[in-house]
Amino acid sequence: MMHFAKKIVLGAVALVTAVPSLVWAGGGEKVDQLIIVADTRVINNAFVKYIADLYNTNTLLFAVWAVVLTAVYGAFLGFLMDFIMARTGLDLKSRKLVEH
Amino acid sequence: MKRSLLGFFLALTAAFFMTATALAADVAQGKVLSMDTATNILTIEEFDTHKSADHPYGRPTGVTADYKIEKQTLVGIKPQPGDVVRIAFKTQGTERIAVRIMNVSKQDLRKK
Amino acid sequence: MDWLYIYMPIAGMDILWPGLVLIGFSVGVIGGFFGMGGAWMVTPGLNILGFPMAFAIGTDIAHIAGKSMVSTMRHSKFGNVDYKLGFVMIIGTMIGIECGAQLIMYLERLGIVGGVVRWVYVVFLALIATMVFYDFYKAEQKKRAGIVEGEKGTEGITWYKTLHKIRIPPMMHFKAAGFTCSAWLPIMVSFATGVLAGFLGIGGGLLRMPALVYLIGCPTHIAVGTDLFEVMISGLYGAFTYSMKGRIELVAVFVMLTGAAIGAQIGTVATKYAKGYGIRILFGCAVLACMVSIILKQYGFSNSAAVVVLGAISIISLYICVIMLRGAAQELRDKKAQQAASRI
Repeated sequence: MMHFAKKIVLGAVALVTAVPSLVWAGGGEKVDQLIIVADTRVINNAFVKYIADLYNTNTLLFAVWAVVLTAVYGAFLGFLMDFIMARTGLDLKSRKLVEH
Repeated sequence: MKRSLLGFFLALTAAFFMTATALAADVAQGKVLSMDTATNILTIEEFDTHKSADHPYGRPTGVTADYKIEKQTLVGIKPQPGDVVRIAFKTQGTERIAVRIMNVSKQDLRKK
Repeated sequence: MDWLYIYMPIAGMDILWPGLVLIGFSVGVIGGFFGMGGAWMVTPGLNILGFPMAFAIGTDIAHIAGKSMVSTMRHSKFGNVDYKLGFVMIIGTMIGIECGAQLIMYLERLGIVGGVVRWVYVVFLALIATMVFYDFYKAEQKKRAGIVEGEKGTEGITWYKTLHKIRIPPMMHFKAAGFTCSAWLPIMVSFATGVLAGFLGIGGGLLRMPALVYLIGCPTHIAVGTDLFEVMISGLYGAFTYSMKGRIELVAVFVMLTGAAIGAQIGTVATKYAKGYGIRILFGCAVLACMVSIILKQYGFSNSAAVVVLGAISIISLYICVIMLRGAAQELRDKKAQQAASRI
């Protein structure tokens, strides 16, 4: 895996330098920012409505919630999967080396 | 490690549940009738939420309403008469104060 | 057919939810199996399902944060992390992600974000596909020549030795990794990967890992752990900054995360039973299919693009699932037979 890494790195450098030049090619005029309003009129689910409302009124709290909820849900799934996989009866520690 | 991390996140979650007294805002959508730059009042004719091929942004209800644009109001692409906008607003007394204004017809996200 | 669609409250559009589950699940299976993140298929996939490009990137990066939490919890730790190096790199990573995200927002204002990101993705995926096929070709050649590759097949690339000679203060010593260099070296490397991560909505491990080994001079095991640590930080910060910019769809993040967590277990277990090197070809084909679908989308064939990308990733994940189920069934059967034999 690692020995074509040299080229990946080179490619990355090329991409990083190519992107800004693409932007300048797009023209530098000042344009209005895009604001989005979540349409809370059509949401029935209370939790989703709360999140959408937060999006409209308090962006910082929305962002903190987004990060915390994602992290907590990820951690929860991690625990759950650990719990389930331990009960399948499969040996997850050792691995026979069959390739190479 | 596992436990302390979980405890940390639980505490954080609990803290936010308690402090998160979000001030709910209402949302309205409709066609801009006028935009008074002197008084910063935006007047729209409200649409309902029934979208169809003929009325992609909802059907006109005939109800007009004024929205006050303040300094901290987030305004996207400048609303002009004829544009369809979506406004998140708070009501103070009888006055409706815009929090965010989205120019729905001029920034069709579907094309991005 | 309304029940097949779920309303995205912020982007304000109806999205095919089985498509979301499929993308999440496949990214988990493929990422778990090949040991490298599959985030490269999420941004294009979401875009093809109908998300505006900025939303696709924000949602992808948030799902990476969640997924890295899953694996961190599963293993209770990152492994071998040089925390000092990790924290120094956080500076570059965060600034880089912010730059990448700002660039996306700027392109969005210009109204060209979709096209630009799609073409950058085409180049990026073409690069990955080339690497995979080249690597396979090399391995085949070696096999034919009868050369057994050692554990360390790095072919002695020692660029980092030259880079360590740059003595711009502050100089830093990293104990766990065992080298001394100018702090600017890891910062610049993490900045570059951060920009790319923020711009494409990927974890950046694909680039950060080799960069850590070849440019910074980390021992491989330290590089793996430090990279995982960095992916988590970059995912969490990316999720935060894209939320602040209002370009994230939490409902989609949760749907995908659920699929990804299950898929990752299947993918990881399947590696135990997989034989041979040929499966890498399948991976290369998935990358190519994804690339083709992006080009189709760019020219307005959204439906065929969706069919190509969803079809390709379902076939490959189905194949991996079959490997896993067969292997697992065999193992359980053997175990039972052994128990029965020992009882007699």
